[in-house]
Amino acid sequence: MNPIDRFQSVWHDPNDYARKRKQQTGRKILGYFCSYAPEELIHAAGLWPFRLLGTRGEVRMADTHLQSYCCSLVRGGLEAALNGSLDFLDGAVFPHTCDSIQRLSDIWRLNAGFAHHFDAVLPVRLDSPSARQYMIDVLNEFRQELADAFGTEISDDAVWQAIGDYNRIREKLRTLYELRSRAPGLFDPSTVHRIMTAAMVMERREFFEQINAFLEGVDPDAAGLGDTGRKRVVLSGGICTHPDIYELLARAGADVVWDDLCTGARYFEGRIAEDGPDPVAALADRYMERTVCPAKHRDTTARARALVDMVRQQQAGGVIFLLLKFCDPHAFDYPYLKKFLDEAGIPSLLLEIEEQPPPEGQLMTRFETFVDMLSD
Amino acid sequence: MAENEKKHDPEKEKRKIQTVSRMKEIMTDYYIEAKGARENGRKVAWITSGGPVEPLIAMDVIPVYPENHGAMIGASKMGAQLCERAEEMGYSRDLCSYARADIGDAVAKTGPIGGLPEPDMLVCCNNICGTVLKWYETAARFFNVPLFILDTPFIHREFTDSARKYVLSQIYEYISFLETHCGRKMDYEHMEEVGRLSVEATQLWQSVLDTCAHKPAPMTAFDAFFHLALIVTLRGTQVTVDYYRQLLDELNDRIDRGIAMVPNEKYRLLWDNLPVWYRTRWLSDKFAGHDAALVADTYTSAWSGMLPDITGQTFLEAMSETYTKVYINISIDRMFDIVAGMIRKYDVDGMVMHSNRSCKPYSLGQYDLRQMIMDRLGVPTLIIEADMVDERSFSESQIDTRIDAFMETLKA
Amino acid sequence: MITAGIDIGSITAKAALIEDNRLLGTRLQFTGYNAQKAGKAVLEELIAQTGVQREQIALVVSTGYGRNSVDFADKAITEITCHGAGAHFIDPETRFVIDVGGQDSKVIKIDAAGKVLDFAMNDKCAAGTGRFLEVMARAMEADLDDFGEISARAGNPASISSICTVFAESEVISLISKGETRENMIAGIHESVASRISAMARRVGVTEPVMMTGGVARNPGVVRALGKKLRVEIRVSPHAQLNGAIGAALLAARMQQAA
Repeated sequence: MNPIDRFQSVWHDPNDYARKRKQQTGRKILGYFCSYAPEELIHAAGLWPFRLLGTRGEVRMADTHLQSYCCSLVRGGLEAALNGSLDFLDGAVFPHTCDSIQRLSDIWRLNAGFAHHFDAVLPVRLDSPSARQYMIDVLNEFRQELADAFGTEISDDAVWQAIGDYNRIREKLRTLYELRSRAPGLFDPSTVHRIMTAAMVMERREFFEQINAFLEGVDPDAAGLGDTGRKRVVLSGGICTHPDIYELLARAGADVVWDDLCTGARYFEGRIAEDGPDPVAALADRYMERTVCPAKHRDTTARARALVDMVRQQQAGGVIFLLLKFCDPHAFDYPYLKKFLDEAGIPSLLLEIEEQPPPEGQLMTRFETFVDMLSD
Repeated sequence: MAENEKKHDPEKEKRKIQTVSRMKEIMTDYYIEAKGARENGRKVAWITSGGPVEPLIAMDVIPVYPENHGAMIGASKMGAQLCERAEEMGYSRDLCSYARADIGDAVAKTGPIGGLPEPDMLVCCNNICGTVLKWYETAARFFNVPLFILDTPFIHREFTDSARKYVLSQIYEYISFLETHCGRKMDYEHMEEVGRLSVEATQLWQSVLDTCAHKPAPMTAFDAFFHLALIVTLRGTQVTVDYYRQLLDELNDRIDRGIAMVPNEKYRLLWDNLPVWYRTRWLSDKFAGHDAALVADTYTSAWSGMLPDITGQTFLEAMSETYTKVYINISIDRMFDIVAGMIRKYDVDGMVMHSNRSCKPYSLGQYDLRQMIMDRLGVPTLIIEADMVDERSFSESQIDTRIDAFMETLKA
Repeated sequence: MITAGIDIGSITAKAALIEDNRLLGTRLQFTGYNAQKAGKAVLEELIAQTGVQREQIALVVSTGYGRNSVDFADKAITEITCHGAGAHFIDPETRFVIDVGGQDSKVIKIDAAGKVLDFAMNDKCAAGTGRFLEVMARAMEADLDDFGEISARAGNPASISSICTVFAESEVISLISKGETRENMIAGIHESVASRISAMARRVGVTEPVMMTGGVARNPGVVRALGKKLRVEIRVSPHAQLNGAIGAALLAARMQQAA
């Protein structure tokens, strides 16, 4: 199977992939919901971190545990845990994240019945030395719990090794994003999205081989492919699990050239220093410095300034906010982000997503109108 | 007409808690003082309801509570209108209605007290939710004032040593934040005195709530919602200690004289989550009509749950644990232990849970908690869907039917 | 030069013909289940009505939800862009369009040339649309066409607080049983619709003058309530339901000129 087909098939059914691959490799799998989950430590323990992205099916069993005013990621994630579709997981780790995920951790622990459960309650503040110290402490505690639970040891060398592996994967993802930004026509509109999903669910060494092979096969100067004649936009929000969005946007006349999504650029942003005395402190420092998720605090305007900079740097014409309905941290930031964009003369469009995006007809109406609004 | 008749009903008159008028005086004085702070050269800090107010009192900073304001807006039935104002500014209708109403009123200034006194600084403790973090960031941008965040890690299983160290170092960071923005040093002796008053008030508040263990209960949770205001806003002051002593005396006197809040108390219920502020009267009458008294609640008791153990440590040291362990900063199983204790203590027949759209940390998990209470304790539990301030999320006919049906099962 | 605009909405199909910036004629009929047929039919009827020859029509632009099913159109453009252009044509001073139709409502901020600057649409929910009014009319067993007139006589509009159409319906029913007057109830229903729309309008930022279009613009009760809520004077388009089709025809003319 060539890399692109491999990515496509993983995207198509991540659970099936995990089940089969686990059988082949015997690797244990730990699920996680949030880009603050310390994957490097999981990887260093010889486990395979697997990002949980809700469900594509109907939510039924989770209704017994969660109200309707809870976001689709949390509801869908619980559904998948309860209905057996995550039977390959050996457990999951919850790095706090937000009010909803915090409660999901309890409900999951009490009902899902996986062998292992971890809470790594990271700091919410990422702006002080005591928060950094606490982050290091929590990461070390998680490292110890993980080692105890799986009867292994996680040496400093193993963590350094994992850091190296992750730095290399993240570099490749950055290269992929940069290629798309330079020549959006190189890929089908949703290809990068599918690869990002694969990056978060595939057994990481296999993913690294595949992404290398994929990038080697890309000719960045392929004649006539680069320029699509479409307008350039960036996405901002939490998770995106709908490749259709990219296809529809392209049909409406715009290419996504970068994003501020936690399943996107925020996943690979920030290189971990490989030359310090303490590998766990190095991990903590990446989290302390990376663009924040709105559920964390750095300073009160950092996200907006970063977003405006991103739009300018990417020479994009506008921003599409992709917000999960009932996601409080993102909903709180939206008005001020929009204000900063307005002041910078950057048009934006808000799209609220429940279990599914709005019906295609309505979505196209919004996209087409928005694309018309953007200056050429 | 009906209103007038009620006022002259001597039975009803007898059941009124007299100390209520003292509360109104204190709160009026407090808001006048806060509104006039600037003229009197005093500083105002906005602080979250679960935040450590004692250092503010010790530094002579006037604490102002946007959440208390949110409750006032709700009780004045101005919630929908002010929430809408925030929605017009781009805030989603799904966000916390305290935050929306307060953000709306910061701009409109049409709320019950014409807008809160503007802050000189903001103190946000996330032991109650992640929402306050986002809300206070919004306020920090709007008023362009410094923001201090006290980050109290959620307790899934235990309060770890690293969390204790982290919170304690933040308490000292908090004090130096105050010193910087007030331009003077903390008087640590005074701080301990404030701490002592806070502990005393908290103990008194617990005693007030405990009077409801008596049958019939001398007050209900609806009264506790009202009398709560001081333990939230002015913990650590003598006036609060005096107030709760007076209230406790009155309640004990009611017990002696056999005065019950619900005339024919037959069923004793436990309330969970924040009040439905714009419908407290309606709900109170509704339950009383079924001879049911809400004898306790998980909400107002959260403040007495903050009682620190100050043996062998300073108040500041004790604070880090106390403030981190509050009721909604703990896992569902730990919440169950507390609820089970209350069910026993107050000898409760049933539980009513308010599934509150505004408050995810309080409400998500209620379905599991309910199941645990029914399975392990055999206590029937009702869930009603509403919102604490936004009356647009309240369906009277639906809730009316649910309560009637629930009471029918209790009576059966 | 003659151009045509065809607007296929969820309930009605509309067509407009424009010749040299002048409106030649318009036509409105029910969409039915087949949007493709409806587009063809409404244009044919309009041709017959105006006596214009099909060959004279240089360009056809389709708009509305069914815009992509009009296979003979030269281009499909969203109704938002078309509403902007249409409102500008009808009243060049217009800087803000509020369009409330049967299934959705939208607010559109436009510049001096009728170009869209910003916009917002309602979510899936029916609050703030014509559908909400229909449901309420049914609950009250009243004729929707009388709503505007009846509400004008209200002394004290009832408060309908529920956002959800289903909850609001039960609220209305309980108000009926409490003996609230029809006038006050209908006025309350209009205020509820106006609240939803004004919140959306303020999110985008209202710029005057404001024009209202769409089927609901024919209800003076909603227009009045909306004007009060937004504290602006609302100009109702004389072609309330045809605004999109007119805009489409205009954009067709512009494209033809540019070509």
